Amino acid sequence: MQVLTFLLKRFGWMIVTVWIVFTVSFFLMRQIPGGPLNGERVLSEAVRARLEARYNLDAPISEQYLTHLWNTVQLDFGPSFKMQDFTVNEVLAQGFPVSAALGILGMVFAISIGMTSGVVSAVRRNSAYDYSFMLLATLGIAIPNFVLAALLIVIFVFNLQMFPAAGWGDVSQIILPAFCLGAPFAGYIARLTRTGMLEVLGNDYIRTAYAKGLSPRTVVLKHGLRGALLPVVSYLGPAIAGILTGSLVLERIFVIPGMGSHFIEAAIQRDYTLAMGALLTYTVLLFAMNTLVDLAYSIIDPRVRLE
Amino acid sequence: MVRLLRKYFPFLLIIIAGLSVVWAVNLGTLAPAEFVFNNGTEVKTIDPAKATGVPEGRVINALYEGLLRSVPDGVPDELGRTPTKPKPVAMADSYEVSEDGTIYTFHIRENAKWSNGDSVTAEDFAWSWMRFLHPETASEYNYQLFYVKNGSKFALVDLDEGDPVEIEMKDRPVTGQMFPRGTVRRGKLVSLIRPAPDREHAGDDSHGHGGGGVSGPTIFIVEFQQGEESSTAAFTIQDINDTEIQTLVSSYQGEYDLTELLSVEHVLFDFQHVGIKANSSNEFEVTLNSPTPYFPELVAFYPLHPVHRASLEAHGDREFSKPGKIVSNGPFLLKERRIRDRLRLVKNDTYWNAGNVHLNSVDVLAIQSETTSLNMYLNGQLDWDTKPPNTLIPLLKERDDFVSTPFLACYFYRVNTSKPPLDNPLVRKALNMAIDKQTIVDSVVKGGQVPARSFVPPGMNGYQSAYCGQYDVEEAKRLLATAGYPNGQGLPAIEILYNTADSHRDIAEVIQQDWKKNLGVDVTLRNLEWGTFLDTLRVGDYMVSRSGWIGDYADPNTFLDMFVTDGPNNQTKWSNAFYDQGIEKAKYESDPSKRMAIFREMEQTLMDEQPIIPIYFYVSLNMVNTRVNGFTANLQDVHPLHLLSIDSEGSED
Repeated sequence: MQVLTFLLKRFGWMIVTVWIVFTVSFFLMRQIPGGPLNGERVLSEAVRARLEARYNLDAPISEQYLTHLWNTVQLDFGPSFKMQDFTVNEVLAQGFPVSAALGILGMVFAISIGMTSGVVSAVRRNSAYDYSFMLLATLGIAIPNFVLAALLIVIFVFNLQMFPAAGWGDVSQIILPAFCLGAPFAGYIARLTRTGMLEVLGNDYIRTAYAKGLSPRTVVLKHGLRGALLPVVSYLGPAIAGILTGSLVLERIFVIPGMGSHFIEAAIQRDYTLAMGALLTYTVLLFAMNTLVDLAYSIIDPRVRLE
Repeated sequence: MVRLLRKYFPFLLIIIAGLSVVWAVNLGTLAPAEFVFNNGTEVKTIDPAKATGVPEGRVINALYEGLLRSVPDGVPDELGRTPTKPKPVAMADSYEVSEDGTIYTFHIRENAKWSNGDSVTAEDFAWSWMRFLHPETASEYNYQLFYVKNGSKFALVDLDEGDPVEIEMKDRPVTGQMFPRGTVRRGKLVSLIRPAPDREHAGDDSHGHGGGGVSGPTIFIVEFQQGEESSTAAFTIQDINDTEIQTLVSSYQGEYDLTELLSVEHVLFDFQHVGIKANSSNEFEVTLNSPTPYFPELVAFYPLHPVHRASLEAHGDREFSKPGKIVSNGPFLLKERRIRDRLRLVKNDTYWNAGNVHLNSVDVLAIQSETTSLNMYLNGQLDWDTKPPNTLIPLLKERDDFVSTPFLACYFYRVNTSKPPLDNPLVRKALNMAIDKQTIVDSVVKGGQVPARSFVPPGMNGYQSAYCGQYDVEEAKRLLATAGYPNGQGLPAIEILYNTADSHRDIAEVIQQDWKKNLGVDVTLRNLEWGTFLDTLRVGDYMVSRSGWIGDYADPNTFLDMFVTDGPNNQTKWSNAFYDQGIEKAKYESDPSKRMAIFREMEQTLMDEQPIIPIYFYVSLNMVNTRVNGFTANLQDVHPLHLLSIDSEGSED
C-alpha cells in the first residue's frame, strides 16, 4: 500500500516534470536561429512553403505547441525531419535498446570493478593494493571518458590489436566503449565502497562475528558488504543519470547508433521532433531509474521509509 | 515479503545483472558485409524524389536505376581522371534525340525488372516523374525537370486562364497518403477568381497549399467538355468555410455560378500536357522546351530514378522504402537498415546486368567522425573511407591506397554585395587579388587542392574556364585606391563568416592576414554553428562568407545558374541583367561550342563583378583498400558500387 502511494505520487510528479521539460524545450528550440528546413542548398520558396505545410511549421506557434503536445500525450512524436524515412518513435525504438545495452555493460563494469577494488582496499587498508586502487580510482574519475577512449584505442586497437576500432554488431565492439563509459563510475564506487566498508568493519557486530570464529571471508562478504552496499545503492541514481548522458560523446567516437547519437544530431540539425522525443525519453528514464533506486534502497535498508 | 526480498536482494541483483549482460551482448549482432564503406552520414531518405546530397546518391544509385547511368568511360586525362558519361547502360538500352534536340525517345530494355519480378515500363517512369514534379512531393530538385515542356507549370502550379487543368477530388482512398490519388477530372481553366490585389495581407496567409504560382484564396472556374455539351464548375483548394473564401464568394459579381463551389485537393496544370509520355510499355518520350545538351546528365541523376508504384501506393510515402517492403530496380537490394549505423545491401538477382555485379553484400556505414572512420579503415574494418581527416592528408598522400584527384567542386567566399563597401565591384576585385591562394593550398589545406582563378572547375568537356586574376598585391592596391580607399583608409572593417570547423578557421585567418597586410583592411572573424550559419547566410546577415559547391553534373550550368537574380542559392544579393539573359540564352543554344562560349562570357562577367571569390578547387579524397578493383578516379567523384569487385587474392597491408 505504502509502495503504491509512493509510486502514484512519483508518477504525478513525473507528469508535471515532463510537461515542463516539453514546454521549455519546445520554445527554446524554436528560439535558436536556423530550422529543420535549412540545408546547404537553399530551397525554392514554393518547395519551402510545401514542406512547412507538411510539417505544420506554418501554423501559429501556439497552435503548433498544442498539436505537438496532444500528439505527445498520445505517445506519437511525429515524423523525424531529417530522417524522412522514419518516425521519431521508430528512431527511439531502435536507438534506445542500443544505449541501454551500452549503459548496462558500463554499469556492470563500474559496479563489479568498483566494488571489488573497494572491498580489497578496505580490507587491506594502507597496503600497496589500497594505494594503487585508489590512485586508479582517482584517475578514472579525473580523466574524461573521451580522452580515455583515445588512449584505449591506441593501446588496444592499434598496438595490441585486440579490439576493432569502432562499430556495432559484434560483442568485441562493445567492450571498449562500455569500459570507457563505466570507468569514472567505477572510480566513485570503489571509493564509496572503501569508505563504507571501513566504517562497517569498525562496528561492534563485526568484532562479534570474528569472535564467534567466522572466517574472514564470511565476515567481509556476508556482514561487511551488506552494510557497505548502502552508499553505493544511493549513488546508483546519479550514476545512471551520468551513464545515460555520458554516452553521448562515446557513441560518436565508437559509432554506436544509440540515443546519444540521435540526440546530438537532432540538436545540430534542428530536428525538432526527434530532439523532443529523445529529451522526453531521457526525462522519463531518469525519473524511473531514481524511483527504482529509492525502492531498492527501502528494501535493503529497513531504516529507510518510502514517502 | 520485504524481509525475504531483503535477504536475497544481492543475489537478485546479480541475476538481473547477468541476464541483462547476456541480452546486451547479443543485441544487434551482425557480421560485416563483403564490402564495407563509410558513407559519411546517415542518409536523409532513400526515396529518389525526395533525396539530395552525395551520400544519398551513393545509396540510391545502388538501389535504383534510371534510364541512363553516369559511368566512368574513356581515356583518363593528364591528371588521371576518367571522364564520366551518361550512357544507356541502364533501364534504357538506347535513345534518340530529334533533329532540333528537343525530343528524347528512350527505349527501355526488355529484361528490365523490378525486384518483385514486375517489368519496368515507360509508365513507371512517367508516373515516377509525375510524382517527382508534383507540388505535394515538394522535391528539392524539381527544377531539374523544368527543362521539360510545361514541367514548371505543373510543379509550381503556375496556372493561366485557358490552361488545361486536372482537378484531384478529396476522395483519396487512404487518408493521409498522397498516393493513390483521389479521382482526377480534366478540363480547361476558364477563369481565376482572386481577391482584389490591394489587400496587403493577402500574401502572408498561404495555409495548407501555399507557395507556387497560385496562393491565397482562389476560386478556379473549370470547363468540362462532354461530347458536344460543355459545363463549368467552381473549385477551390481552401476550405469552403474559410472566411476568406466566403468573402470572396459574397463579393463576386461575375458571370459564373459559385453556389456549388467544391473544395478539392489540388487544381494543377494537366499532366497530360506536360512533355513526359509513355508511348508504349517500353518507349518513353520526353519533350523539352529547348535543346538542353546536358539533359542526358540529368536523366542519369538519381532524383529521376523510378519508384515502384504499386508498393508505394500500398505502403505509403514513408513505409514503402523499408526493408522487406521496398521494391527496387537497381543492382542491389536493401536487406536491413539500422538508423545511424548502416544500410545492408545485397546483390539483386533480378537486375538486368546481375551477371556483372560482383559484390554480394555491401555495408553502407554512417560514421560522422572522420578520425573514427580512418581508425576503422586502418584497422581493416572499412574498405573505402570517403572522408579522411584533412589534417592527416599530407601523411596519407604518401600511401598507395590514397585515391585523390581534383573534381567538380569549388571552395569560395560569397560577398554580400548589398553591404557597403562591398557593393563596389572594385573593392571585391581588390579583395580577391589580395588573397594568396597558393599559400592557402600549400600550407593550410595541403591535400593537393588547386588554387581557383575561376568559379567553374577546369576539366569540363569543351569548356574553358574564365579568369579572375592572379595574386597581385600592387593591382589590388590600385583597385582599392580607385574605389576611393587608398591604402585601405576609410574602409570599414570586414567580417568573415564561417561555420565552425578548424579548417575553415585556418583559411579565414590566412585571408584575414592577407587583407590586413596587403590592403590595410581590418578583418574580424565570426564563426557560427552550422544550423545558425545557414540561416544567417539565407537572410543575408553577413559581409563575406565561406561557401562550397559541388557540381551536380558535368556542365558549367550547374555552377553558373546559381547566381541569376534571386536564385535561391545566390545569397549574395548580386543581380545582373546581362548575366541573367546570358544564362537563359544558353538554355536555348543547341550548338555546343556556341553554348560554351556564352557560359564562358557569363563566367567572366561573374569574375569581373566578383560577388564570389573562388579560393580553391576541391580534390576528392578517398582511402580505398588495394584489394578493391574497379575504383577509378574521376571528375565527379562517383564510384558506382556495382562496378566494384574484390580481389580475393589481394592482401591488406
